[in-house]
Amino acid sequence: MTQEEALKWFADLFGLPASSITPETTRDKILTWDSLGVLTLMASLDETFNIVTDDASMRAMQSVGDVLNLLRKHGKLT
Amino acid sequence: MAISTLPACSVRAICSSVPTRCFDNLTETTAFDPKEVDKVVKMAGVRTRHIAPETTCSSDLCVAAAKRVLDRLQWKPESVDALIFVTQSPDYLLPSTSCLAHRDLGLSDRCAAFDVGLGCSGYPYALWLATMMLSGGGLQRVLVLHGETPTRFSDRSDRAVALLFGDAGSATALEASPDRTGLPWGFNLHTDGSGWRDLIIEGGGFRNRTPADPRQLCVAMNGANVFNFTIKRVPSLVEESLLAFHSPAESIDYFILHQSNLFIMKHLAKKMQVPETKIPYTIQRYGSTGGPSIPLTITQGGLVRPADRALKLLLVGYGVGLSWGSALIELPPETILDHVEVG
Repeated sequence: MTQEEALKWFADLFGLPASSITPETTRDKILTWDSLGVLTLMASLDETFNIVTDDASMRAMQSVGDVLNLLRKHGKLT
Repeated sequence: MAISTLPACSVRAICSSVPTRCFDNLTETTAFDPKEVDKVVKMAGVRTRHIAPETTCSSDLCVAAAKRVLDRLQWKPESVDALIFVTQSPDYLLPSTSCLAHRDLGLSDRCAAFDVGLGCSGYPYALWLATMMLSGGGLQRVLVLHGETPTRFSDRSDRAVALLFGDAGSATALEASPDRTGLPWGFNLHTDGSGWRDLIIEGGGFRNRTPADPRQLCVAMNGANVFNFTIKRVPSLVEESLLAFHSPAESIDYFILHQSNLFIMKHLAKKMQVPETKIPYTIQRYGSTGGPSIPLTITQGGLVRPADRALKLLLVGYGVGLSWGSALIELPPETILDHVEVG
């Protein structure tokens, strides 16, 4: 998956226009990235990428770039 | 490894029970912003749930269900050899809730009665115990009562749990099967105590009898860890069970999952590649009632029951502990299924 595709996946997940987010967008700027959003993100990471995460790594993610780095670390981002 | 197959016993009746008071999360919630409520209801799936008044405890819900079971089976109270009460919301710290139910049902002083302190995994564990007791010889009839009142220990200011929980009880009547010709029952039980903090009521027990913060008398849940546990453990439990019990997924009529959260359950269904038609849901009407959600779903989940053969069910409980387990059982056409509301 390319970075552009990953950004679209993330934006769709949180109900945002893809143009509104960049890797630098922080969690506090995304209202839907709350505790329910965390579960949605965890489910999609598992379903789409087969990545199972834990509470500590979810807490550590504070920006879209952190999510992209997770995908990169698991070899899901080219 | 706690995997076992045991000679089947007969499930003679299952009755679930809920308090009469039905609360509509969408129209009656005033503590949270309606948009937030709408979002939580969509995700967790709980539209309505039944809430026990302060005067109704787990024993009351289960005794009502057990009375219905005894009545419909025409079982005399003195014919019950053992009573297992599964709960994590007991009436008292002591005595055991089983003793209260024993009194209310008028059971004999020759009846064994004890509690099992498990939550969402409690039903498979209790069936395992009852099946061993019946197959061990001597005992003929066992009642398994499983009841919880989680609305009483949920923090009403925490939207993650305030809109989720409902109260329920159940009674399951099991009898020794003299011919033992049925499919052996299978049990697959697991524990991971390292997750003990992920679902916890920290206060009120003897480690912290009177907590300074009253919120410690309510359940605290680490949603992300519980979700992680569920998606990691439940699909492998199901896969392992089907393999161990030589039962391909196609041979199972219904997978009766603990009704934890609609979003999580739907995710599990996809992950386990089980058709949704084989997973009944009751969480929309009753909320997450803990372990009793399994017998509640058996009676209220709209199971289609052929008249000429038993249903093959895989019961799957998972949650607080962390503890999880499955039971493969058969539900014959003659098994009585019933449901009562407790005013």
